[in-house]
Amino acid sequence: MESERDDGRSPSQLRPLSCARNVLHRSHGSASWSQGDTKVLAAVYGPKAGTKKNENPEKACIEVIWKPKTGQIGKQEKEFEMILKRTLQSICILTLNPNTTTSIIIQVVNDDGALLVCAINAACAALIDAGIPLKHLAVAICCCLAEGGYVILDPTKLEEQKMRGFAYLVFPNSIVSVLPKGSSHVEG
Amino acid sequence: MDGRLANRWRLTVNEKKFIETALASNLRIDGRNPLEYRKIIIKFGREDGSSEVQLGQTHVMGFVTGQLVQPYQDRQNEGMLLIFTEFSPMAGPSFDPGHPGESAVELGRIVDRGLRDSRAVDTESLCVLSGKLVWAIRIDLHIVDNGGNLIDAANIAALAALLTFRRPECTLGGDDGQEVIVHPPEEREPLPLIVHHLPVAITFAFLGSEGKLVVDPTHSEEAVMAGRLIATVNANGDICAIQKAGGEGVPQSAIMHCLQLASMCAISITKKINSAVEAYSTERALRKIKRHPTVAGNVSVAGSDVKEQNKTVEQVGGSELSRHHIERLKVVSEETCSSRSNDNDGDIKSSEQGGTSRGESKAMNFLGGPSNWYGASTFQYFF
Repeated sequence: MESERDDGRSPSQLRPLSCARNVLHRSHGSASWSQGDTKVLAAVYGPKAGTKKNENPEKACIEVIWKPKTGQIGKQEKEFEMILKRTLQSICILTLNPNTTTSIIIQVVNDDGALLVCAINAACAALIDAGIPLKHLAVAICCCLAEGGYVILDPTKLEEQKMRGFAYLVFPNSIVSVLPKGSSHVEG
Repeated sequence: MDGRLANRWRLTVNEKKFIETALASNLRIDGRNPLEYRKIIIKFGREDGSSEVQLGQTHVMGFVTGQLVQPYQDRQNEGMLLIFTEFSPMAGPSFDPGHPGESAVELGRIVDRGLRDSRAVDTESLCVLSGKLVWAIRIDLHIVDNGGNLIDAANIAALAALLTFRRPECTLGGDDGQEVIVHPPEEREPLPLIVHHLPVAITFAFLGSEGKLVVDPTHSEEAVMAGRLIATVNANGDICAIQKAGGEGVPQSAIMHCLQLASMCAISITKKINSAVEAYSTERALRKIKRHPTVAGNVSVAGSDVKEQNKTVEQVGGSELSRHHIERLKVVSEETCSSRSNDNDGDIKSSEQGGTSRGESKAMNFLGGPSNWYGASTFQYFF
């Protein structure tokens, strides 16, 4: 059942992507990633000397700071930071520079659906721009389960609100992490 | 964390001496003359009330949002203007993500004083129901890149965002006229804020032992300067605020000289802001026309035919890119669903151009590789 989406895309079609590298001057690496109207700016500083208190000093440490567009930093921002940190920890080679911290700062410029996915892609591009050695790249995509039970990719904000559940998938060369989010029972 | 001290950036003695010696012969390290401003680029985002200002290497983003709240007890008829400044750790390696440092607080206060105390934004028009509901306008300033002179850039970003912000129209209804109905933008056109004048902040730095004056200091000049004066003036020549917090003492004549220079700079900056806002408003008005499918192809204002066809086809991403770039996306000028895969190609290609226009020359050589890679990755799903 091919149902038309609001902006006329087919269910497995992504919005136009665009990425720009080296957009900031002070940071060691930076990238801006946009999927349709969702736009995220990522900057990387590192490796800096020293690790935080609870971190293992025998390995490099990744620190993620998420800056929302407006408003105070709340639980959701902390959750995004945690997810992003774990994802990036799995792609960075942590044994290369022990007792250092690499900071990744994410700034949300506009949110029109698939925000975390956009941020993961932006962070990966910024790490490449900074020259941080990586095992492989992290490519993220968002899929939603629509009312009719079919899957659509890369939802906009309106589509996200109407969905029954969604999952963010991050691929290196094989599936690394699957984070299902949703409330309804999934069939099939 | 002990490592933090080691990570802080410090200017070397050689660089300091070089800046001061060069200034003795009226030369600045980036080639400007002492009273010259850097290039200002003002861009706007997709939504109303979001601006992005680049002043040389300094990059600041401003977002304006509005909310209905209860007014203050002693100001029952006035709306509220709230300014939040965040020095993002993105801007420089020494910024702490925790609580704001004193320079962040100072910046917030200067912008706040310029806008609120000078009554630039009309707060009485923000009152909906006296004593019960007023509009609270919240300005979030994000410092994204610190290339010096954050205060001026943040001020321009705040002004640009305020001028392009639109608040929903609300009417009083209900049985006793006490119920407030907020109309969504589809129903009624949202209203702009009433801004009486534009207070522009100009920063002067005093360098060296004899207090040489420079306008719009860069990051290195700020590290060397002995004192600083920030004058907030508007295009009419009114002085809205002056800030000189500590630093080297300067004679009275220098202060008067600064204020005169500030008035002149303010006129040119105000003109730039106004022309950027006007260009955005006309583009926004054109965008509004195309929402109705019946007028799709008939509206042809000179030169924007391609953009219109973009919109009717609902290529949202494509139109966003075409706004950022000077070159028209000729690929997208065709039409509908059939050419979508081609459109993706065109969008990726123009992202390369976009990358060039943003990142400076050193980014140019390297754009081929990663962008192409991202181009390839998006087609993985075409099984």
